[in-house]
Amino acid sequence: MQVAVAGKGGSGKTTIAGTLARILARRGSMVRAIDADSNPNLAVTLGMDPAVAFAMSGLPPGLLRVVRDENGTSETVLVKAPREIFDEYGMDAPDGIRLIVGARVEHAGTG
Amino acid sequence: MRGIIQDLQSDGDDVTVLDLEAGLEHLKRGTASSSDTLLVVAEPYYRSLETATRAADLGRELGIGRVGIVANKVRDDRDANAISQVFEPRGLPVLGVVPFDQSVVLADQTPAALIDIAPDSPAVRAVEALVDRLGPRPPAPGSG
Repeated sequence: MQVAVAGKGGSGKTTIAGTLARILARRGSMVRAIDADSNPNLAVTLGMDPAVAFAMSGLPPGLLRVVRDENGTSETVLVKAPREIFDEYGMDAPDGIRLIVGARVEHAGTG
Repeated sequence: MRGIIQDLQSDGDDVTVLDLEAGLEHLKRGTASSSDTLLVVAEPYYRSLETATRAADLGRELGIGRVGIVANKVRDDRDANAISQVFEPRGLPVLGVVPFDQSVVLADQTPAALIDIAPDSPAVRAVEALVDRLGPRPPAPGSG
């Protein structure tokens, strides 16, 4: 199951996403969490230490490359398997969850 | 970033939970297009319901198999009914109803995971009920 959680800022979407992930993990699923919000808070709602969560870096550039087939159609593909990307760039959260933070806006205007 | 997130979700039978950017931008850009389930969190007031309706419509346009609403910060039956009356006629199921819960405020303030500091709280119970409704398997394409 690939669940995306959407909502307005302040709607409580991240608390619901984090709680949902923890419950799914406790029920035996291997859960991967992706924080795609530019103001990432999922780590804390998953139960990670706030200091550790704040120090998490986003994904580095260069994980996608463009491939072209003989018809000239191009698409982007990951340079590594998703599993490897979660292993390499993810962090452990409670109940065996592995978390990736997509983008962290370090300073206003850079994101 | 959009492409990476699309591809990161497409691996195997495990569960991926993707917390999208607040608002509609990620849905417009298709970041969630690899998802099989979109949960749109809606609060019981007009602007939130309006945004949630647009988010759900965008999710359907992306071809996400199951698009459902999670009502949040619901204080009473009137709130719950207001949400159902907006979404049910549009064919959008309300998959979860999470009550307004002081434990959520406490979790935000601490900060800590809600499930760690208040595992038996009404809000956690409501998300458990949501997980029950989602079931163990993703919906078959086109069934939602």
